[in-house]
Amino acid sequence: MRYAGPAGMDLEKMAVPLENICSQCDYKGTPDCREPECLMGFARRVLSYAVQKGLLDVPGASSLIPKGDFKHYYPEALVPALAETCRQCKECRDNHTPDCVVALVRSSVEYTVLSDSIPYPGSVFMYLARIKEQNPELAALLAGELSKKG
Amino acid sequence: MGDGIFRQKNGMVAIDIVASCGVMTPEQLSGLARLSEECGVFRIKLSTRQTLVAVLDEKGAGRLVESLPGLGLKVSPYGNVVRAVKACAGSSALCPRAVGEALALGIEIQDKYLGMEVPKDFKIAVAGCLRGCTDPYCADLGIVSSGREVFDVSIGGFGGSSKPLHGEVVARRIKREDVFLLIDHVLNRFRALGEPGEKLGRAITRLGLTPFLPPAGVKEAQQAPPDDFVKFLED
Ligand code: SF4
Ligand code: SF4
Repeated sequence: MRYAGPAGMDLEKMAVPLENICSQCDYKGTPDCREPECLMGFARRVLSYAVQKGLLDVPGASSLIPKGDFKHYYPEALVPALAETCRQCKECRDNHTPDCVVALVRSSVEYTVLSDSIPYPGSVFMYLARIKEQNPELAALLAGELSKKG
Repeated sequence: MGDGIFRQKNGMVAIDIVASCGVMTPEQLSGLARLSEECGVFRIKLSTRQTLVAVLDEKGAGRLVESLPGLGLKVSPYGNVVRAVKACAGSSALCPRAVGEALALGIEIQDKYLGMEVPKDFKIAVAGCLRGCTDPYCADLGIVSSGREVFDVSIGGFGGSSKPLHGEVVARRIKREDVFLLIDHVLNRFRALGEPGEKLGRAITRLGLTPFLPPAGVKEAQQAPPDDFVKFLED
């Protein structure tokens, strides 16, 4: 039997592209792979914790995002991860919180490609518009990925 | 203070029954169902304040009322008192969106303040996240979890009126114990300054927020991620 995540969110689906990114990382399986200090590792831990506890928000967790991780990731690998956060996002608009599990994954991925995380406007459409302002190539890749079937 | 027992237009009697912010054990629910059958209850309605309204003929009403305490239930106080507290499902067991244990707080607040006399009915709403499923800004006093053990508090709202008002936030991210200090303070000020029959929101419009602001000592708390999350991250 397969269970959907709480409130219809499929958190495990968000984990798949993150695992793909990890599998391509040079540090994978070495002592230098330290998940709490790695943006992808952090995002994966947030997801496992949330699945285990049945949570959609981890209050205060956004303060722990390892912004000091400057490893290089290929945008082509990151885009499916970002796209999956767009698919799972409930577009809470005014009720968006940076400690939402989707937001934690999204911000972790963003830090790898953007100079700063984008304050999320609570809607995918407005989000794409903001990415386009900061990074038009990434926005084009993301729009292409989102037009594929999830 | 009055009791929530009302004569209906059809001659029947409606009894407003209060549980712990709408939470009942299966034993309470089945006990109430049996008692209702024995007392000839016609219908039971879930109210907007998370109470249960039992409608029945007058002859069975006395027995129903007398038997409620045996089930851990009671008739809800009515009139110019602190009313039944409306708390959302916000708890680790009942809502995955909950950022704090709002339901348990709501139950404790109800146990402490329900039925206390005030110049005009006083409604409290508690929500476990900023989605505010219990409409906290439409309550005389609204509480919203803003972290695991911290809450935002607004006062002076009321939704049920031809001129509704939204409450104003008077404290952000305060600790659980400070929520009680703040409620004590607001109720004391309301009793001292409110005119008979005046809603808190109207009293605030007349006097300004200052007399109702939190006492010194009620301060914003620092937000820290859950300890078990930090441990999970590091393991
Ligand atoms: S809008 Fe924000 S809070 Fe809502 S699901 Fe998306 S990321 Fe989470
Ligand atoms: S206010 Fe938040 S915690 Fe409470 S029931 Fe609604 S979504 Fe859940």
